[in-house]
Amino acid sequence: MVTLTIDGKQVTVARTATIYDAAKEAGINIPVLCYAKKLLPYGACRVCLVEVEQMKGRLIPSCTTPVTDGMVVTTDSEEIRKVRKTVLEFLLVNHVVECPVCDKGGECDLQDLTYEYEVVANRFQGEKFDLPTDEVNPLIERNMNRCVLCGKCVRVCDEIVGYGSYSFINRGFETKIATAFDRGLDCEFCGQCVSMCPVGAILPRPFKFKARPWQLKEVDTVCGYCGNGCTVTLGVKANKVETIRFNDKTGVNDGNLCIRGRFGYSYVNSTERLTTPLIRKDGQLVKAGWDEALAAVSKGFKAAGKNLGIITGARLTNEEFYLLKKVAATVGTTNLDHSGGECYKGVTEGLKQTLGVTASTATFPQVEKADAILAIRSDFYETHPVFGMVVNQAVKRNHAKLSIVADKRGKFGKLPDARSLVTKPGLELNVLNGIARVLLDEGLAVTDGVAGLDELKKALAGFAPEQVAAATGVTVDALQQTARELAAAKNSAILLAYGLPYTAYSKELATAAANIAILTGNAGREGSGLYLCGEKANSQGAIDLAVLPGNQGLGAQAMLAAAAAGQVRSLYIVNEDPLVSYPDQGKVEAALAGAEFVVVQDLFLTETAKQADVVLPAASFAEKDGTFTNAERRLQRLHPGITSPGSAKTDQAIFQALLVSLGDKVVYTGTEAIFDALKAGTPYAGIGYADIGLQGAVWGGDHLTVSKQLVPVGGGATVDAPFQLVTGSALYHSGTMSTHASGPNAVISAPYVEFGREDAAALQLVDGDMVQVKGSGCELQLQARVDNRLPQGVLFAPYHFASAGLNRLYKGEASVAVEISK
Amino acid sequence: MTEAAEQVTEPDIDLTGANAILDKYVDMHGALMPALQEIQEFYGYIPESTVHLTAERLNVYTSQIYGVLTFYAQFHLQPRGKYIVRVCMGTACHVKGAGRIADTIKDRLGVGHAETTDDLKFTAEYVACIGACGMAPVIMVNDGTYGSLTVQKVDEVIEKYQAME
Ligand code: SF4
Ligand code: SF4
Ligand code: SF4
Ligand code: FES
Ligand code: FES
Repeated sequence: MVTLTIDGKQVTVARTATIYDAAKEAGINIPVLCYAKKLLPYGACRVCLVEVEQMKGRLIPSCTTPVTDGMVVTTDSEEIRKVRKTVLEFLLVNHVVECPVCDKGGECDLQDLTYEYEVVANRFQGEKFDLPTDEVNPLIERNMNRCVLCGKCVRVCDEIVGYGSYSFINRGFETKIATAFDRGLDCEFCGQCVSMCPVGAILPRPFKFKARPWQLKEVDTVCGYCGNGCTVTLGVKANKVETIRFNDKTGVNDGNLCIRGRFGYSYVNSTERLTTPLIRKDGQLVKAGWDEALAAVSKGFKAAGKNLGIITGARLTNEEFYLLKKVAATVGTTNLDHSGGECYKGVTEGLKQTLGVTASTATFPQVEKADAILAIRSDFYETHPVFGMVVNQAVKRNHAKLSIVADKRGKFGKLPDARSLVTKPGLELNVLNGIARVLLDEGLAVTDGVAGLDELKKALAGFAPEQVAAATGVTVDALQQTARELAAAKNSAILLAYGLPYTAYSKELATAAANIAILTGNAGREGSGLYLCGEKANSQGAIDLAVLPGNQGLGAQAMLAAAAAGQVRSLYIVNEDPLVSYPDQGKVEAALAGAEFVVVQDLFLTETAKQADVVLPAASFAEKDGTFTNAERRLQRLHPGITSPGSAKTDQAIFQALLVSLGDKVVYTGTEAIFDALKAGTPYAGIGYADIGLQGAVWGGDHLTVSKQLVPVGGGATVDAPFQLVTGSALYHSGTMSTHASGPNAVISAPYVEFGREDAAALQLVDGDMVQVKGSGCELQLQARVDNRLPQGVLFAPYHFASAGLNRLYKGEASVAVEISK
Repeated sequence: MTEAAEQVTEPDIDLTGANAILDKYVDMHGALMPALQEIQEFYGYIPESTVHLTAERLNVYTSQIYGVLTFYAQFHLQPRGKYIVRVCMGTACHVKGAGRIADTIKDRLGVGHAETTDDLKFTAEYVACIGACGMAPVIMVNDGTYGSLTVQKVDEVIEKYQAME
């Protein structure tokens, strides 16, 4: 610790602090422009200059200068004010002053400082910038005439996002921020640069001319898309979510968001939202009142009794999951499941057997400090982008060694010294087994307190590095290096994502990952963890609260089969569009046709809802109160920013009303009362609703206690065909919900099939060509994209789009053999 | 980013040369500048497709390379003429009518500063003092210096180079 004096106040701070940090701690505000908490020190703008007694004769930039013992700092004086004013005058020489029509007005650092330092006239005269604005894309507008060259956009896109859109180009007066070849922006559209820009040079287009910042009501809530659980702060005006506000104080994401969180909110305001219940009459879905609809639903469910099947998505709140379980209990059915059943089932079973848990064993912030990271199957950028940014920082700032075992090359693979262990779909398992084998062979394995060692050794007989290399194409060296790095790491992180499009070998992969966690000493060690990352906002909540088949109950897939066979007579499908998102569309079709009475509860008239007998209009995350549990076991509070359109209700209100009409007598006074009721017998038992503060509450603590049971797993197999197709998530989308949002749709609005360059060249395909993809007895017509991620013979198609009909082809396997024709 | 966004409207460039150059520089730190210099030497300028290739092979952002290329005057993103006509715009030359010299060149060849004739024969560049003030106004064509110019003399110089291959 270091003690210094700032404006007469004594402050003691960490040795690594800068003068700016120290002042902040002392409650003294130094103005800044180019400084940002989450970026590396830069020191370009000179607005933050201060006087230091020990460094007389010049002013010192406080944002880059480290504190030293006994330093005496003055942050405000005649001299300092004069210099700051001059800095501002210089900035305003070329800056086009158009505050009245600039959307940043009211929260612009330059505007605020100009006001504070009373820069009413300018001693300097010069040419104003006259650069064209970038309005090529629908999400982000760039007006470089307003730029103050603070470099924050350049730095955030590099340091945190790892995309690198921008650079300073040219020299002297001509210096400006531009993309490569000074073209329109074409990137991930995460909007990090928007959130960092201190002036109105980079702005969110959907928000243009919508409101002044002070007219917005700000509501902190949790992103409704993926299991990352980012805090999103809704900017609400007249009951409409107009934008997402920057907020780095609440939650775990440091103000970082992905395109879905930042621009994907628009589905909330969609005019296509359901506003009243619908009931099928004479073959047509017609509008109905809630009383009529609820009466029909409870009558139908009662008639079905134990033959009712309930399938939900994983974007309900914990409180809603609890009420849904009560609906099941009241009707008397144990057929209850979430998320397609298969996708979480395998991974949780695998982890249960080995580590004895069904959740991530540590929390996200620890990944930043990891020395070695192993990412399995998914480039986390596609499924959990903001977690991907954490990994970015671990690698770029702290030089963590990153290895990726996957069927394609992704963004992770471009990080400094990252090692991509790319193999054919299905063989990732063999690679993991190979790594485990190296750990054992080289005596690197931790074996203390570990059970099942002999069995594992036996099972790995066929996985010597040379054998694995021959089978998978991953080199012996890569297997060895990965194993050695993981074993040597003091802190390591093993990342495993799951979701509807990643169902194959899930149990085996989770088991193999857990084996590695145990053998490397990762399991149970402080600072290390295995991260189980669910696809949806409350995937972890669904597991924690056991939204699972009860005694003799059927899982999702079994329910569908039983419905097709007429045994499950009624289906209640909540918050999910299985016709589009579940593997094997035919199976879902047969189930919907076979069930006598189908109720769908959703925001939109989805493909599945169109087949229903009753449709109940539900609410989005932006209208809800309650809790989500993210992928690191963190419970976080949602807060409603707007009310639902028409007579749509939150799932919580719908379940409550349904319970009443089913004859359940218990009425809860509010969300907190439901939370208190649901806790018993769950991991949430020790958590009070009020304890869930700004940073949420992590159940089980930062480190979960785990068991260390090694479990043998065999290898996987891959399809032997010239072309095989894998499905998965595309960065810009999440499930099917984001396809209703104009933000993500602005970037990717239609299904496609992606080819690697070699395949594209061999097939003479270019971007945009239409191709026929034939396999599993059906044929799809898709647009081709060419990129450099896929190895030869492997194609990728994202699973989000209804129109693609992808799940007629994909039935849950690791990959499907396909034929391609133009 | 998709391939479409990267697609460029320049003639097909044979990347074999660039690939061979980059082969030497992959896995080398601080390789960007020398690699770009060699690429420019090979192609005479830096074709856009070689920028994308360099970005991919050296794992550097395309934007960063573009920043470097626009920062240093030595790099050229457009094909350059066989003959580089440097028109001195320094003070001495300016006083002695460099403007008229530049206008003449523009009139005869149709190219102003940093422009290249369609047949890739001439590129004009307006530069600061080239250290031959005594002979102002001055132009240089590649390594040859021509001083004390008049419009007529400029025409002669141009004709001489036009007659050459
Ligand atoms: S939106 Fe994201 S990826 Fe695009 S330039 Fe900004 S920070 Fe970079
Ligand atoms: S665009 Fe904004 S963030 Fe980027 S350098 Fe200019 S002022 Fe800074
Ligand atoms: S989709 Fe996931 S990563 Fe993106 S903002 Fe929402 S919670 Fe964060
Ligand atoms: S904020 Fe310190 S130099 Fe810009
Ligand atoms: S000014 Fe032209 S050579 Fe010096």
